[in-house]
Amino acid sequence: MSAADQAAERSKRHRADVAPGEAYPEEDIAKGIRGYLIGLGLAVLLTACSFAVVRMNFIWAPAIPVAVIVFAIAQMGVHLVFFLHITTGPDNTNNVLALAFGVLFVVLLIGGSVWIMANMNHNMMHSPAPAPSHAHH
Amino acid sequence: MLGKLTLDAIPLSQPIPLIAAAVVGLVLLGVIAWTVIAGHFPYLWREWITSVDHKRIGVMYCILALVMLIRGFSDAILMRSHMLFAYKAPGYLPPEHYDQIFSAHGVVMIFFGAMPFMIGLMNFAVPLQLGVRDVAFPTLNSVSFWLTASGALLVNVSLVVGEFARTGWWPAPPLSEATYSPGVGVDYYIWAIQISGIGTLLSGVNLVTTILKVRAPGMSYLRMPMFCWTALASNLLIVAAFPILTATLAMLALDRYLGFHFFTDSQGGNSMMFMNLFWAWGHPEVYILALPAYGVFSEVISTFSGKPLFAYRSMVMATMAIFILSFMVWLHHFFTMGPGGDVNGVFAITSMIIAVPTGVKIFDWLFTMYGGRIRFHTSMLWSLGFMLTFVVGGATGVLLAIPPADFVLHNSMFLVAHFHNVMVSAVLFGAFAGYAYWFPKAFGFRLDEWWGKVAFWFGISGFVVVFGAFYILGLLGMTRRMQHYDVADWRPWILIAGFGVVLMLVGVVAQVVQLVVSIRRRESLRDETGDPWDGRALEWATASPPPVFNFAAMPQVHGEEAYWTIKAAAREQLSLRNEPDYAPIEMPINNPTGVVCAFFATLIGFAMIWHIWWLAVLGFLGAFATFVVFAWRDKAEYEIPASEVQRINRANRTTRLEALQGVGRRRAA
Repeated sequence: MSAADQAAERSKRHRADVAPGEAYPEEDIAKGIRGYLIGLGLAVLLTACSFAVVRMNFIWAPAIPVAVIVFAIAQMGVHLVFFLHITTGPDNTNNVLALAFGVLFVVLLIGGSVWIMANMNHNMMHSPAPAPSHAHH
Repeated sequence: MLGKLTLDAIPLSQPIPLIAAAVVGLVLLGVIAWTVIAGHFPYLWREWITSVDHKRIGVMYCILALVMLIRGFSDAILMRSHMLFAYKAPGYLPPEHYDQIFSAHGVVMIFFGAMPFMIGLMNFAVPLQLGVRDVAFPTLNSVSFWLTASGALLVNVSLVVGEFARTGWWPAPPLSEATYSPGVGVDYYIWAIQISGIGTLLSGVNLVTTILKVRAPGMSYLRMPMFCWTALASNLLIVAAFPILTATLAMLALDRYLGFHFFTDSQGGNSMMFMNLFWAWGHPEVYILALPAYGVFSEVISTFSGKPLFAYRSMVMATMAIFILSFMVWLHHFFTMGPGGDVNGVFAITSMIIAVPTGVKIFDWLFTMYGGRIRFHTSMLWSLGFMLTFVVGGATGVLLAIPPADFVLHNSMFLVAHFHNVMVSAVLFGAFAGYAYWFPKAFGFRLDEWWGKVAFWFGISGFVVVFGAFYILGLLGMTRRMQHYDVADWRPWILIAGFGVVLMLVGVVAQVVQLVVSIRRRESLRDETGDPWDGRALEWATASPPPVFNFAAMPQVHGEEAYWTIKAAAREQLSLRNEPDYAPIEMPINNPTGVVCAFFATLIGFAMIWHIWWLAVLGFLGAFATFVVFAWRDKAEYEIPASEVQRINRANRTTRLEALQGVGRRRAA
């Protein structure tokens, strides 16, 4: 393989394998700033919506928590796409895998802990305010 | 002014720790005095203490581990010999001291023996196997190492100043809360583990980044040597699991220092939550230690069988399956704590499933050996010893994964035998195999084989005798951590275990003698070519010891077993690859950031233990100032001129060519 080929391969590899926070050499700055501004706008909008549904009673009261959860999940999506630059492109496999890995382990740890501790409290009657037992019948 | 620290902190009434500490202290002072007087200190400072070279940091990790393994082993000798005198008698160690010894034994062996050894081997070998010049963040690597050393120092300081935890190697509340452990023992535990834990986490981040982002051209994931795969899995587990330990110990510290109620069992606290969180770190930790050892065995078995690793892809799959499953089994450490049958059942099944990928690995190693021309080098002996003894440990593990059986055996000597069986045979044997295997790469000469074999045979027979006796003691109903006993049935087995420790001691002494003998005979043990074992991965493609830049030119990888491919071509044509076009190489400049940070971290730890608040603030400011100075440095790299690279590489090419011509002559004759 000639030196030119090597250089070409290296730069190809480089483009396809960009570390988090590392800039694409050919990306233009204006486009980058526009992305952040759109993200900021969406994030502010979603935050405002959350406050709005809680403060103003234009939706049915029991649905408010659901609405807030929906806005929160949308907020996460906005952060992931516009600020953390998680995309589906081939250059992003590592970032997507890292995210999946983090989510998996957080779900395992928190889900597992809640399940184990609830089960244990139930068995050991440890809970300071035990639910009345006839509630289950 | 000095918080809780007074002269009473020095245990003048307890001769054993004081004498032990005095001996250690004198030896340490002697070594320091000798290096300073003989004028070696500037060299040590320039080339080792401030080094950011992954090879040197790896070597220093392994030296720390060897020293701390001896410390942990002397704790074991104290415990076993105490038990010889504790039949219907109080023995020679008072209970409050015996408690500290078994706690320190576990902490030292796991955090400062096994962990630094594995991280040291990964640090040393992974960048070489990937065909690159260093890890992704060289200075961070130095910080990681020195923070680990700082934690080890704090544990040893507890011998002389104050006391160590009496809680066992996991400080379980409510025993570890301020109410029941008012002394500084648990605080030593907390700060030693917090500081070294941060070092471990940084090292995990560093190695994950290195493996994912810094590889030689052509080294795709499925061309990486097996050791790099297991290192990747192990370091991903470090990144996922160590924050849990840090957070849990931070909560315990808040309970102890500021009267919080995370684990107090009153005012909403729950001590069971500590167990849950501790083992959510603790079980992945087992695989953080075992996976790199599996990688070492893969390299050693393949090299000394003269064959490629059997079913490489199934090995990768098994590694990554263990990686995921290791996060789903933690409850099996507290089956008896009160969860219901459904919870216990689920975790019992996951615990049994994790034995499947491990079994796949055993079969892959067996088939790698099948039909190979096996050379019984010391590192191969450790690998074979591992396979024979580890299947027993694995089988007793599957047994303990059955909750009804665990209810009988929980916290018995059977359990102690089981986890020593897996940890010693996987991690320690793996460490020794890796030590014998990569030693010539690190220092340019091989270890003496005869003493290595003595160490192996005494080590493994002592290990079988001690833990065989422990299994039987467990079945006879003996529980762990007993300070004395009066059951006649246990007596013979305790004597046998005591004899086993003597065998292990011979093994340890042989290991030390091996090092001394090898250094003295280094000229006759010299590794001239850089490939003493007829190796298969890229670390053998460069000189022993490798130049600071590892490779004169980045190797091009064209398949699995990168170096074997190159070597096969060279043997066929009886000539080396064409000489590369030499170019100047930029390498990071050594700097003292790591050791200075660790100095301030030690101050913080010591100050927090003894409630010397001003010193803690000072330590924190110093550590931050060190970071600022490093961040504002003007010059990060220096250049090695092309002519120098050429000179170093040509020297190695000459010896390799001679070796190759030797092969040619033998073929012709």
